[in-house]
This record gives sequence, C-alpha cells and structure tokens, in this order.
Amino acid sequence: MENIQPNDVLAKAEALRNNLSTGFRDEIVKSLYSEAEKIAKRAVKTASDKKYDFDQKVDRIVTSPITGLPIMFLMLGLVIWLTVTGANVPSQMIGNVLFAFGDWARALFNSWNVPWWITGFIWDGVYLSLAWVISVMLPPMAIFFPAFTFLEDLGYLPRVAFNLDWMFKKSGAHGKQSLTMAMGFGCNAAGVVATRIIDSPRERLIAILTNNFVPCNGRFPTLIMLATVFVASAFSPALTSFIAAGTVVGVVLIGIGFTFLMSWILSRTVLKGEASAFTLELPPYRKPNVGRILYTSIIDRTIFVLWRAMQTAAPAGAIIWLLANIPAGDTNLAHAIATWLNPFGILLGLDGVILLAYIIAIPANEIVVPTMMMMYTGAGMMINGPSSSVDIYNLLVHGAGWSLLTAINLMLFSLLHNPCATTIMTIYKETKSWKWATVSVVITLGTAFLVTFLTASAARLLGWA
Amino acid sequence: MVYTIAVIALIVLIFFPRIGLLTLYKNYRGAQARERVEDALKHLLDREQQGRHASPESLGGTLDLRRAKVTHLLQDMETQGLIETRGTELHLTAEGERWALHVVRAHRLWERYLADEARMPLNRIHNEAQKREHSLTEAQLNDLEAALGHPTRDPHGDPIPTREGKINRAEGMPITAWQPDRPARIVHLEDEPVLAFQQILATGLRLGQDIRIIEKTPDRYVLSDGENEYRLAPAVASNIYISALPESEIMKREAVPLFELTHDQRGEIVTLDDAVQGFTRRRFLDLGLTPGTVIYPELQNFFGDPRAYRVRGTLIALRRDQAAQIWVKPI
Repeated sequence: MENIQPNDVLAKAEALRNNLSTGFRDEIVKSLYSEAEKIAKRAVKTASDKKYDFDQKVDRIVTSPITGLPIMFLMLGLVIWLTVTGANVPSQMIGNVLFAFGDWARALFNSWNVPWWITGFIWDGVYLSLAWVISVMLPPMAIFFPAFTFLEDLGYLPRVAFNLDWMFKKSGAHGKQSLTMAMGFGCNAAGVVATRIIDSPRERLIAILTNNFVPCNGRFPTLIMLATVFVASAFSPALTSFIAAGTVVGVVLIGIGFTFLMSWILSRTVLKGEASAFTLELPPYRKPNVGRILYTSIIDRTIFVLWRAMQTAAPAGAIIWLLANIPAGDTNLAHAIATWLNPFGILLGLDGVILLAYIIAIPANEIVVPTMMMMYTGAGMMINGPSSSVDIYNLLVHGAGWSLLTAINLMLFSLLHNPCATTIMTIYKETKSWKWATVSVVITLGTAFLVTFLTASAARLLGWA
Repeated sequence: MVYTIAVIALIVLIFFPRIGLLTLYKNYRGAQARERVEDALKHLLDREQQGRHASPESLGGTLDLRRAKVTHLLQDMETQGLIETRGTELHLTAEGERWALHVVRAHRLWERYLADEARMPLNRIHNEAQKREHSLTEAQLNDLEAALGHPTRDPHGDPIPTREGKINRAEGMPITAWQPDRPARIVHLEDEPVLAFQQILATGLRLGQDIRIIEKTPDRYVLSDGENEYRLAPAVASNIYISALPESEIMKREAVPLFELTHDQRGEIVTLDDAVQGFTRRRFLDLGLTPGTVIYPELQNFFGDPRAYRVRGTLIALRRDQAAQIWVKPI
C-alpha cells in the first residue's frame, strides 16, 4: 500500500475538477432523487387519496379570494379575544396572591426594624416590579402561545404567508416575513431570531428592522387595558371583551400596515434591491398534538420569555423605586424628570409621565402601565395589582387629565416605539452590527414620534382635543 | 489641570496603537495607495489583452488622475518591479501581471458571489465588486472560489482567471459579426464602457438570452427574442457577444416557462434556466425540481401570484419570477 498524503488527494481532486461538465451538480441531485424515488416506490404504498382530497378542499377555502382573508382576520381576532377574556381573571388571582405576599413580607421586615430604604428597595422596588410582570404577562402568554402553536402545528401559518405574499412582494420583502411577524406577536426578540428562515440577507434585514411593528406580548397588556378602559367602556358590558379584542385587532392591523410601509421604504432606499427567490413549502395539514403543544409553548416559550422579562424587570423596578424616592428639591427625581419631559410629551399628545415610563421600561415593556400608575398616584412605589377598569378610568381621566387623544396616541406609541433592550441585543447578535441595531431604534422611534405628533396636531387643529 | 488632561486625552486619541487616529489615517492612505496601484495594473492588463499598449495618458484618463500624480504612481510601480516603461509604452512585468490577474480574479469572483449568493441586481454588482476587489488576500480568494463551487465565468460571461493565472478566453463574437436570422445566444455583455452596458440592460437584453438579428442597417440593429424587439445603435450592439445555441437549447424550444401552465395542465420539467445559478439553483434542486419531474399548479393566490405547485407529493409555492425560470413540457 502506497503512502497517500491528504495533499495528494486534494491535488488529484483539483486536477479532476477541470474535466467536470458545468451541469454536474444538477446531475448529482437528479441521480439522488431518482435513487430515492426507486426506494420509495418499493417501500411506500398509498392506500387512499382521502387525506389528500381533504387537504385540497381545505386549501381551496383558506386561500380563496372570498373566504381566505376573512378566515385570516377571524383567526387573529379569535386568538386575541381568547387572550383578552381568558387572561383577565387569572391575572387578578395571581396578582392578589403575589401582592399579598409582598405586603406580608414588608410587614415582616418592618417588625424586624429593617431600615425603611432596604425594605422599600427590595419589596416596593424589585419585588413589586417582578410581581407585576408575572401577573400581567404570565396568563396572556400561557393562552396566546399555545393558541399560536396550535395554528402553527395545524399547518395554517404557511397558508397565511402564501395569502399575504403579494403584499410583501409589492413592498420588496419576502413572503416568509409573515411567519416571522406572527412569531413577533409572542416576542419580538423571538421574531428577530425567526428571520433566519429568510435566506436573502437584504430581505432578512427588512424583516428584522420591521418586526417591532407587531406588538409583542409585553405590549398587549397596555393595548388591552387601554382598549378596555377607553374604547370598550362606551359599550354595554356584555360586549366589552369583543370590542376590546376588536380594538386590539385594529391596532395590530395598523401595525401590519406600518410593516408594509416601512418595508417598502427600506427596499427603495437603504436596502435597495429586487425581490429574491421565493420558495415556500405548504406542508400537509396535521392533527395537532395537544400534549406537545402545551409542553413546548409553556416550557420553551412562556417560561423562557417570562424568565427573560423577570431578569430585566427586577433592575427596572429598582430604578423606579430609586427615582421615586430620591428627593429633588421639594419633590422626587421621577416627578422632576416627568415635569421636564412634559412639554415634549404634550407635543406628541402624551405627557411627561408616559415618556418617563417608556424610558424606564426600555428593558421590558411590561412595566409601562404599573410605572405610569405609580407616578400618577404619587406613591413612592408601584400600586398593588390591576384594579377595576372604572378605577383606572377615573385615575387617568380625572387624576392625570387624559383625553381620548392621550389613550389613542399611547396605543400608537406603544405599537410603534423602539424595541425593548432584549430585542435590540438580539438584533445586534443576529446582524453582528451596531449600525443595524441603531437603525432599528431610529426608524421605530422616529415613526412613533412622527405619527403621534401628526395625530395630536391633527386632533388639535380639528378641535377634538 | 483640565488642560493637562485634555492634552493627554488628545495625545492618546491620536497616537493610540491600532485604533488611534494616526494609525487609522495611515491605514486609510495605505489602502488608497494599494487601490490605485491595483487599478493601474488592471488598466495595463486590459490594454494588453486588447492588443494595445497603455500609456501614461490612457492611465491618467482611466484613473482620473493629474499628470504629476500619474508620473509619481508609475515611478512607484517601477521601483516595486510591477511595470516597465519602453518609451511611452507601459508594460507589465511577470510580477505585475500576476498581481493584475489576482485583482481581476477577485473582481469576477466577487461579481459571482454578489449575483448568486447575495442576489444583488445585475446592474449594481460591477460597482460593488470594484470596491471589494482590493480587500482579499490570495488565500481568502481561494476560499471564496471553493465556496462558490469553482465557477469559470462571472455573471457577464467573462472568464475568471484560475489561481495559476490562466484565462480561458470566452468564445463568442460581437453581434456585429453575426449573420442576420441565425439564432444565437448572448454569452457576454461587455460591462465597460458603463454607459453602453447600462443602455443594453435598459433595453431588457440579458445574459443567456436567445436572440436573432432581424434588421441590420448602418445606424441601427434590431434584435428579437421571439416576443420583444430590441433596438440598438451599432456602437452599443458591438458590446454584445454571442455564440451559436448549445445542444440543450433545442429541448427548451418546445418547453414553456412553468407559470404558463394552466390550472388543469401537467408538465414535465425540462431544464432550469441557465441564468439561475448559485443559491437559487441549489434551492430549486433541493426541492426536487430536477429535469424529468412531473409538476402541476394546484393553488392560486387571490392575485394570481404566487401559485403553489404539486411536485413529488408536496406543495411548493413559487412566485411568478421563479416559475419563469423553470422550463416545462406540457403533458
């Protein structure tokens, strides 16, 4: 046996390569497929076409011009309605338990004569913020993620991508962007990671930069609260949940509209280029495996996202408490900053407190509402638990001077503003570029400022506010 | 005190190793000088391949440099042993030619990469490659070549020099030397001068397209691909290189693009378009879109695009642009 060195093999390959015909790769794949076909013919027997016919019928319905779009909206509305109605009661129950525990622990610390600032920092700052995040986020996620995974398992989501592709094509983006957007409803950071399914770098960047325009689970509570308190309260109580869900769906549709608009602008400016190859597999419908859905959506998604939110909410809670308890002149630091931000907030149809809440909530959007409430009530800590919608309405309208414009603009701002810290980090990790991470902040925040400013100015000009 | 700190900070900012302003500036100047040398080498090689000689004037014109700078540049290159001057003629030395071929290879491999993998529009790849061709070492270039699957031609049909510096000349001739009415395939679009190239692209003519000359007069050429007619000035037309149709073309003659199949029509895949290379071709093949496969449209989006096709038992959605690149024979 001769002694063959690796380099000899490489040299031989190098020499042989010149003799290859140009289409040899096609030939290799072709022979692989014909071999696979041969094996399949021997091993696979098709008993009946029943399943195939059924799939075809369903496909006709969900992609038809008449029923396709309505079914899509219905599904979206249904998932959101389930989340809105189902999450309400468990949220309050979890809240009651956690806040009661906090009260008990605070009393315990007081009885031990622990200095007030330690008690306050731990129980009114860090713990209360965690309690809020868990009670506000856990129930909606525990409903939303399984419902979403159900649709995913069913094989319905690729059909949505198929239905919406023409819109994405028009805006110079990839049809699979609808899948990453759908993921973004759960968590924008997850949506950004999901853009890996788009192979063209240009279209993937568009999907990354616009993912934030679909509201994530952390922002849904804000939208749901505003929709319930300000919009749905004008209707009879029996309709509340439907009106609230409808309003949220409307906000979501506005977000999708902005996704298309921004994709279109990006693909004609900084990310110029033609639509690339679009191939999308539409898998056969499958009976969802409920056990697996519950497991993956609760453990992999809900607990994962919740844990991440808790990690960011804890320091944010500490900062809120510090701001609210460090004196500045005859008031506290939080109040001073809010007053300073107020003129700019008013210009956008919001106010200084809302802007400060959003600055503090950069790590996690879930704590926007509790932070706002805390500052409005003037308490040195976040208030305990979600109260009834009448209380919230009274507090915001009579206490804080909100109008319908404030509520609408807050919904718009919540929909359009910058990604949370985790999403920004994820964008950096996925693109390996601070430039794109910065761009993602600039375009979202720019859009949010511009849109809220325009609606506020229009409303004021027309005398509505 | 404040001033001392400011001065120290300024000194650190300027002289800091690797990321200080001075080093950055030096690197920038170094890169700029290298780019200029490489562009000059390319110009000389280009001229030599056309059988003409480069002169300081032609070089100054191409690089857009003043005379004094050209003289300076040429002196530099001569001391580096890259060129020789004989009278006003400039010649590449063996070393100069090796380097020039390296740059050309880098340029064409970059074009291949940008077109196939990054899928940038064809009219932008030349300028982008122009910027990137100076940045890779020989080893990196070999890696890029291997990753691209050792392509032999760039997207314009120009041959890519091998790593030993050999060039396999493109067959094909300018369309101005072709007989009217004989079908031919576009094998190369000369991308310089840019203006002529832009004009060719603007008409919609593209590489790999099959055409015939239907009218030839001293002031214009009319070409046809069977559907559209293209009018060009002879000076522009001479930048289009063509050759006789390859064998496989005859098969394609009886085939139609996939998107033309009507709803109840089945087709057998004949071939994938030659314009589809790199990533997109691999994706098509991976999905099982190989010649001989039976395929038929099954679902249609409300707006007609995309359509989903049944192939090998799975349902695959393709946009019209993709379906236009797959040729099928209705059965």
